[in-house]
Amino acid sequence: MEFSTQDKGRYTEVTPSGRLNMVAAPKLREVIDGVVSAGGRRIVVNLAETTFMDSSGLGALIGCLKLARQSGGDLRIAAVQPQVNMVLELTSMHRVLTPHATAEQAFPND
Amino acid sequence: MTDNLARRVLEEPATEQAIEDLHGVLDQLWLDAAFVPQLDQMAFTTAVIESASNVVQHGVPSPGATLHLGVELTVSAERLKAVISEIGAAPHDPVPDLDDLPEPSLPDEDALLEDYDESGRGLSMIRALVTTVTVERQGDTNVWVLSRDSGQD
Repeated sequence: MEFSTQDKGRYTEVTPSGRLNMVAAPKLREVIDGVVSAGGRRIVVNLAETTFMDSSGLGALIGCLKLARQSGGDLRIAAVQPQVNMVLELTSMHRVLTPHATAEQAFPND
Repeated sequence: MTDNLARRVLEEPATEQAIEDLHGVLDQLWLDAAFVPQLDQMAFTTAVIESASNVVQHGVPSPGATLHLGVELTVSAERLKAVISEIGAAPHDPVPDLDDLPEPSLPDEDALLEDYDESGRGLSMIRALVTTVTVERQGDTNVWVLSRDSGQD
């Protein structure tokens, strides 16, 4: 899995590409930790290129959400693909990580 | 007897690489069994990766043994089946709880977030994604058998 990080002004966009499984999950935590340490408060994880997520990947996203909130910010997800959406709904985690259609829509102008 | 229309196997040391390789084996399986509905492919793939990850993360080798992951995937007209073997493993202690957990009573968002338990979540996901799941001891191996009824609209 590859990660790209982009400063979009109002938020930082992190795009994981590939499979968010037990191998990639610790890497996602590292990437988000780096963003938060660098002062990023609003983080959008763009899942357009994430074709697969398991409970390890979901655990990493949940951990990253907690980290962002503890730092006074927030983490939102966007462009969720069908398998990832299935896992979110199966675990009821779509209620805390509500998918947004696009990264731009995750943090509306405010 | 049920005719297998597609079959793939994998056996290698139970490491992270085995999980990446298993993703590739599943991709090949669905190329051979493209008639299986997308939802069934997605659910079964997720359950198989969850089970195999459980072996890699939590499997304990018997003294002097190297833990291997064995996977046999078969597709018949109406059923997807995975036999996932923890070869050279110590017996499960405790035995994984495969009974249905009571549904959480619609906890609020804060509780959902605070109570998230990764390994427990993996097992309950497996149960939700397949029709039957069993785990039993055979010789030096713990064997998980997952099956999902498929293609019945």
